[in-house]
Amino acid sequence: MSIRHHPDDATLVAYGAGSVNEGFSLLLAAHLERCPRCRRRVTETEVLGGELLETLEDSPLSGGGFDAVWARVCTEEQSPAPAAAPSQTTTPPTTDGLPSVLAAHLPGGLEDVRWRTLAPGIKQHVLRDVDSGNGSIRLLAIAPGTTIPQHGHGGSELTLVLKGSFMDQIGRFQAGDVADVDVGIHHQPVADTSETCICLIATDERLRFSDSLSRMLQPFFGI
Amino acid sequence: MEDSPSHDELIEWFSAVALRQDRRAFESLFNHFAPKIKRYLLRQGAPEHHAEELAQETMVQIWRKAHQYDPAKAVPGAWVYRVARNLRIDRLRRQRFYEVDLDQVAEQADEAQDHDRATDQIDGEQIRARVAALPPEQREIVNLAYFEGLSQSEIGARLGLPLGTVKSRLRLAFGKLRKALGEEV
Repeated sequence: MSIRHHPDDATLVAYGAGSVNEGFSLLLAAHLERCPRCRRRVTETEVLGGELLETLEDSPLSGGGFDAVWARVCTEEQSPAPAAAPSQTTTPPTTDGLPSVLAAHLPGGLEDVRWRTLAPGIKQHVLRDVDSGNGSIRLLAIAPGTTIPQHGHGGSELTLVLKGSFMDQIGRFQAGDVADVDVGIHHQPVADTSETCICLIATDERLRFSDSLSRMLQPFFGI
Repeated sequence: MEDSPSHDELIEWFSAVALRQDRRAFESLFNHFAPKIKRYLLRQGAPEHHAEELAQETMVQIWRKAHQYDPAKAVPGAWVYRVARNLRIDRLRRQRFYEVDLDQVAEQADEAQDHDRATDQIDGEQIRARVAALPPEQREIVNLAYFEGLSQSEIGARLGLPLGTVKSRLRLAFGKLRKALGEEV
């Protein structure tokens, strides 16, 4: 399975900068699990981060400075506590092909999702345990032949195909592919095979100044 | 103000910390990185005392994780940056940040081996020169993303720019950096 559609470089830079919301980072990590090309680019965004760090002026530490840190390190050496991981590192993908980073949120896999019908042929499941700020992250199941009504976006929207495929004006998206769509772009995806298409869709914060506009443009996708 | 340590010096210090728990090497890493990490956290909106505390904690984590550092896979500055970024998201924004464990995914595909083995021949000077040479409008957006943690939509709102413009400037800036890394853009 080869991946044809990748996130925009700007999106990968935002990920490396740590300026994406939790939902975006989850979706992007799910893509990165399978995409060496994007993993390499993310590494490059972190090299940029390291170089930018070097350009900052020093803010000297007051207080004990190094002594305080050394004292903490020495205390921990004596009573080694298990390291708390600030980031969520993933394990390899599960056997049913669900990215492992996502499997943690769907204990029963894709078979056991509690869908809610949105419209004929379209069901959704919102991942409520992911903090997406004003945005959201959800699964969408699109029945074969069903078209998602044309919609615009109040910010950025990322779509990762998990199963099946869809077509839109840009092309055909299969498992592992990411559609990275901007505000103002109108697209009209259609599930184009006999298999139900399951996607993960994340949106970021809506623009504050165009909130009412984005509400008008998002007839039923907004939460 | 002393000169910045060289790439090789930094790697030496990391190895000494990882292999021998060397206090002097750790102090050298502290002297170089802690004040920059503190500035980074201040730029991200942490109050003074919190920035101080989190800079210290970042250094404690660097000590604790030093044995995971593999010079074949990451340049020292990028590795330190990741530790600082992840702690910042966890503590200042109180969100999770999902990452992929490169050691685990690298085993899945042969091609991944080459791709993940990123950056041992990075010319830091050249990247720094490219960063310095970025046009102000691109540099501004890169800084807002990296140092103020603003999303693309938020950058657009702050500067009164359409999202598409924010994205294309980020893309252009990144493309210039990738050239310095010897990538075909």
